[in-house]
Amino acid sequence: MSRIRFDNVSKLFQRGNGTIAVLEDVSFEVEDQEFVTIVGPSGCGKTTLMRMVAGLETPTLGSVLVGDRPVRGPGPDRAVVFQQFALFPWKTVGENIAFGLKSKRVLRRKQVELVAHYLKLMKLEGTEDSYPHQLSGGMQQRVAIARSYAIEPEVLLMDEPFGALDAQTRTIMQEELIRITAANPRTVLFITHSVEEAVYLADRIVVLSRHPGQVREIIDVNATRERDGWSARAIEEVMETPSFTHLRAHVWKLLREQMGAANG
Amino acid sequence: MAQFDVMAPRDQLAHQPRLMRLPRQPGRGWVVGVITIATALLLWYALTSLTGIINSYRFPSPPEFLAALRQIAVDGYAGGTLLRQTLQSLKIVIEGFLIASLVGVPLGFLMGWSPRVEALLNPVFLLIRPIPPLAWIPLAIVWLGLGDGAKIMVIWFAAFVPSVINTFTGVRQINPVLIEAARVHGATDWRVAKEVIAPGALPMIFTGLRLSLQASWTTLVAAELVGAFLGLGRVLSIAYRDIYPAMIAVAMVTIAIAGALMTQLLARIERMVIRWR
Amino acid sequence: MALTQDPRPTTRWAATPSSGELVCLSLGGAVIFFGSWQLIAMSGLVSQYVLPSPLTVLAQIYQLEAEPFAGFLLHQHLLSSLERFLLGFLLAAVLGIPLGLIMGRYRMLDEIVTPLFEAYRYVAPLAWVPFAALWFGTGIGGPVMVIFTGAFAPCVINAYRGAQFVERYLIEAAQTLGASNLRIMREVLLPGALPSIVAGLRVSAGLGWQSLIGAELIVVSSGLGYVMVQGQSNLAPDIVMSAMLVIGVIGLCIDVALREAERWLSRRWGRA
Repeated sequence: MSRIRFDNVSKLFQRGNGTIAVLEDVSFEVEDQEFVTIVGPSGCGKTTLMRMVAGLETPTLGSVLVGDRPVRGPGPDRAVVFQQFALFPWKTVGENIAFGLKSKRVLRRKQVELVAHYLKLMKLEGTEDSYPHQLSGGMQQRVAIARSYAIEPEVLLMDEPFGALDAQTRTIMQEELIRITAANPRTVLFITHSVEEAVYLADRIVVLSRHPGQVREIIDVNATRERDGWSARAIEEVMETPSFTHLRAHVWKLLREQMGAANG
Repeated sequence: MAQFDVMAPRDQLAHQPRLMRLPRQPGRGWVVGVITIATALLLWYALTSLTGIINSYRFPSPPEFLAALRQIAVDGYAGGTLLRQTLQSLKIVIEGFLIASLVGVPLGFLMGWSPRVEALLNPVFLLIRPIPPLAWIPLAIVWLGLGDGAKIMVIWFAAFVPSVINTFTGVRQINPVLIEAARVHGATDWRVAKEVIAPGALPMIFTGLRLSLQASWTTLVAAELVGAFLGLGRVLSIAYRDIYPAMIAVAMVTIAIAGALMTQLLARIERMVIRWR
Repeated sequence: MALTQDPRPTTRWAATPSSGELVCLSLGGAVIFFGSWQLIAMSGLVSQYVLPSPLTVLAQIYQLEAEPFAGFLLHQHLLSSLERFLLGFLLAAVLGIPLGLIMGRYRMLDEIVTPLFEAYRYVAPLAWVPFAALWFGTGIGGPVMVIFTGAFAPCVINAYRGAQFVERYLIEAAQTLGASNLRIMREVLLPGALPSIVAGLRVSAGLGWQSLIGAELIVVSSGLGYVMVQGQSNLAPDIVMSAMLVIGVIGLCIDVALREAERWLSRRWGRA
């Protein structure tokens, strides 16, 4: 059974006299515990797709299903990690992580346990009583991830979560994410601009085109990852391997086609 | 929602659109507004004349309101027609406001320009600032009697402080780089003041003028309530003495409308002067 | 202490005088002002019944506390005023802040309430005095209502603005974490808007204090404003001025307290 399913999803906007199709007839599925990245040029609707799964936007046509149930608004079964971290500045790290737990009516004592557990998992020990603004960008994003993980969602939605971080922190976070999702597998939908990030993290990559937003191609990465043992290597090494470079070039070619088409 | 000049805190992000439960349609605001006002008016009518739930001793009904309006507009009340009373009030406000601005803006400018002048005048300001303008009324009456002079003095105090402070802030918040650039190009102090600082401070100066005007109007109403021979506040006070709720309401509405018109006028002037915004 | 207590950069373009020099100038200014005042008053150029000297004013404060004036001792008048102020102010905050927050979040309510709000806003608070007196007589309701009218608007407006400026993704984050609307209002909108709300409370307190004094000039029989009016009737500017001094000091204290609250808040949460 697929965990997420997009059925002929279209998103249309009225603008002036005409309609703009941000997404047109997008259909694909995400399997349970699969890590799917979505790449595409700006404005191709990739964030919109994610927000539809989150329930923050609704499709104009077609439907989005999670676990065979149509999406009817946001909920803790589909956690979101935002690019801007979206940590509540007036709550401590611990309180932020526990936020979703309170919605699920988890008992106080259990909350404390869970918070401690996730702090440890994300290597954030000791920050429980700090306020977000006291932490670095990378640490804040870890808190955001911990917060999403703590509610044990069916689906994890990540909207360019590392976009606001500097290049080094970003790379480290990518490795961290692999580690975490290996230890606690979830269905993940990961939006990114970065081709390298998309290739490195994904089981499958969905490449979108824009104007209108459609699925250009879906690329399987997992086979290559398993075969070449990426998880055993450091990220810099992986990015040197021929298989990685080949995949990356392929995705870039797809993107360039569209840039040319858009400007032409 | 119109602008209210409260010092809102700085925000990291640009203004985000409101949480929308309903899709945004440009015309809808107007329609809802009209419906709301119409509903409120109907409710007013229903609660007062129609059913008499609200005793007209406490709150006038629409017909009573209109009758009072007619009375004051045509025959006059408490010493003059509505027009005369309004003009009298406006005259005093504008006089006080202008004098206060003519003193306050240059003073604020000077204090902004020179930390020395600021330091010198600070103690006096510190004393005057926390005293609410209305608190000057009794003193003004002791010194100048019940005539126009006392009112203008009180309005002067009400308008003076915001003009100075806002002009001062307007001068101080100018990017020093601009001034350095002017200096590098050989501008004299006078030119810097006239061509860099004055225009740069203009938005905040206008903010100060707007606050001053609002404060002036509010203060005047209060001053006239306490003691006056003519003016909208006097109408209020006599209507109170006569226990004439409909006239009280007429006076209040006129006060509100006059206040709103003046503010709009000032905003228009501001838009004309600050053309580069 | 700068004019506006504003920590922004000042006149870097001019040669900034030393802080020692500035302090001297301030002291000098104070001395000149109070000194000349005292001299003019003492010289007899102007009658004592028109311009009392600074010392006389201070002495009068003590006198007002020693002997009842207009029915009560000074501190009783003060408490009377404060009581009215606090009631009106708290009422305005308790009603205004939630209203502003909800209006900031739900556009429909905003559209409904705004026209009514604008109509009310342009009426000077003191213009409500006649109705307040008619409805409440000489009781505490009258002044409280007038104070409420003055203090209400900034509470609503600042809560409204604050709610609007809460970053959208924070609200969305709360939604995706399963929070109910009430919880979002309490745990996201309210804290998010809090800096703006506290700034609004400052303005609110100022306007409320003003309206209090105004109301006390007309419809009461105790309180600091009443003391001033009685002083005025007795042609005793020294009493009027001492009451003004007390009014100013209390107003200043309230403002400083709220400003400190603003500062503490922004330090703790790291938001402007």
